[in-house]
Amino acid sequence: MSRQALLRVENLRTHLFLKRGVLKAVDGVSLHVDEGETLGLVGESGSGKSMTSLSIMRLLPKQSGRIVDGNVWLDGTDLTSLPEDEMARDWRGRRVSMVSQDPMTSLNPVFTVGDQVGAPFRYHKLAQGARAVRDAVVKVLSRVRIPSPEKRLDNYPHQFSGGMRQRVVSAMAIACAPRLLIADEPTSNLDVTIQVQMIELFRELQRDSGLGIILITHDLGVAASICDRIAVMYAGRIVEVGDVRTMYRAAAHPYTQALLNSIPHLGQRKRRLYAIAGQPPSLIDPPVGCRFAPRCPRRTAKCDADYPPQVELAPGHVTACWHPGPGAVA
Amino acid sequence: MRLLEVRDLKKYFRVGGGLLRAAGTVKAVDGVSFAVEEGETFALVGESGCGKTTIAKLVLMLERPTAGSILFNGEDLASLGSAGVKAYRREVQTVFQDPYASLNPRLRVRTIIAEPILAHGRPERAELRQRVEEVLDVVGLPKTAADLFPHEFSGGQRQRVAIARALALNPRCIVLDEPISALDVSIRAQILNLLADIQERFRLTYLIIAHDLALVEHFSTRVGVMYLGNMVEAGPTSEVFAHPRHPYTQALLASVPRPDPDHRAPVDAIRGEIASAMAPPSGCKFHPRCPHARPVCNTEFPGWRDLGATHSAACHLLESN
Repeated sequence: MSRQALLRVENLRTHLFLKRGVLKAVDGVSLHVDEGETLGLVGESGSGKSMTSLSIMRLLPKQSGRIVDGNVWLDGTDLTSLPEDEMARDWRGRRVSMVSQDPMTSLNPVFTVGDQVGAPFRYHKLAQGARAVRDAVVKVLSRVRIPSPEKRLDNYPHQFSGGMRQRVVSAMAIACAPRLLIADEPTSNLDVTIQVQMIELFRELQRDSGLGIILITHDLGVAASICDRIAVMYAGRIVEVGDVRTMYRAAAHPYTQALLNSIPHLGQRKRRLYAIAGQPPSLIDPPVGCRFAPRCPRRTAKCDADYPPQVELAPGHVTACWHPGPGAVA
Repeated sequence: MRLLEVRDLKKYFRVGGGLLRAAGTVKAVDGVSFAVEEGETFALVGESGCGKTTIAKLVLMLERPTAGSILFNGEDLASLGSAGVKAYRREVQTVFQDPYASLNPRLRVRTIIAEPILAHGRPERAELRQRVEEVLDVVGLPKTAADLFPHEFSGGQRQRVAIARALALNPRCIVLDEPISALDVSIRAQILNLLADIQERFRLTYLIIAHDLALVEHFSTRVGVMYLGNMVEAGPTSEVFAHPRHPYTQALLASVPRPDPDHRAPVDAIRGEIASAMAPPSGCKFHPRCPHARPVCNTEFPGWRDLGATHSAACHLLESN
């Protein structure tokens, strides 16, 4: 069964114009998300995963950030070419929405939860009048499994626990029944027992609605338990993408392999962890060749000279590496 | 040899007492005992609010216990005079979680590392310079790093500076409070490997505070699992992780997302959320979330059961052997 393509990002380049120079935060990223699919965008801080999502949302820093090239097709419309008022009215928060990492700072402490969850309904005119908005809020809060929502909506954010707050933020994001949800590290501040509950919630929401999800994370455990496909980003580019099983069992890019080997996993006690030497390159002046080359165990002269082209190793499994292959890195 | 011992340690905080609210007491640590052998790595693990960081602060003498005692080298910290406290502070150092917050941005690395040395003596300039360069070398930073400011380093390098500072006085014990959780994934392994190397090289004893169970399994020799101010299970790490006996430990381990697409964490392993430490549940504090709770769990606080020579858990469902 082939699923409908929902989002297609083509050759996206997003630059930040800083005093120090031009930071090429996203440097030619292409990806797609199908209906009802979860794509994991995995990478370290500074790899461009958050900038990719802010580009899709068109929420880049006003002064410095700009999409310099590429397209973002959502349901056949190129979001990069829309005027801002149309983006705000019909798309952002309506068809594509976002859950950010920290539920503490994404909720306003002086408004009730009901007020804040009601905001998208009012803004996008999906419910008219106080009673209708209230009903809609109760409904969406119960969808994210907040107990006794009709009482809780008059509470303030500080009266909610961390896990419940993250549910409130998720409720705001799905309020308008978006087509695509971008979840930026939605579980990384939560305790593990609460993490499981959030992962289950995302799965449920998706099952009910055919929602496409981009999950941004650095936690390979979380990514494995929720994603259909994984894209690994390094220094502004996607270095490998494939379905979740391929990526965990037969990753071909040394960076993906290093990521998998450099963190301790439960039940596999090793004396030493594989440590990736060095640090990611500067994105103001990135290396000409492969950006991982300076840290790569398979580096050759070719890697320093030219950026590797994308090779399709199997249907849907694509990597940008001159020496792809099974994990010799351990 | 027992280097550090904690006996029935309690720390209560008074909170509230504002205009409209009655004051309450948070029992952050409520009767915890454990001992750390010289040269080993003892881990305190648990979710936020379980009291693990409060224990670290008590051990570092940043807080005073409400009751109970902490013994270092057999001596009760409460009985130490000012010279004794000073000597203790030389021997027990710490590395904090966030190297962006734990290093003074206005000081050069040289000054940051020299500070603890100068607080404990008056070395000559050349001697001080040599010691700073020595510890920088131990943590894998070049001599030239001494003249730079913290902002000139990446997160991993900053954590190396923090480790160098902790090593400056040649301590016997280092308290590591979430030492890698603020670092990037590809950097974590470097820091963990470094910590393992210097432990071996200087025969250091570690008390590590962490919430990441995989890290604890990898890094520690013994572990204490905490829940709402109590320790609920303790033993050798390999034993506790292979055969967890307390339902909370079992649930915690089952909940960890694994980098295996075919593994599904059971959603019903644990219900609800951690209770408020101001109004903890009666009896066993875990009983409202426990899938195996019985009536007795609601009324009686469970005592320790010995499950082996060194493995024990506090749960009504378990029998001592």
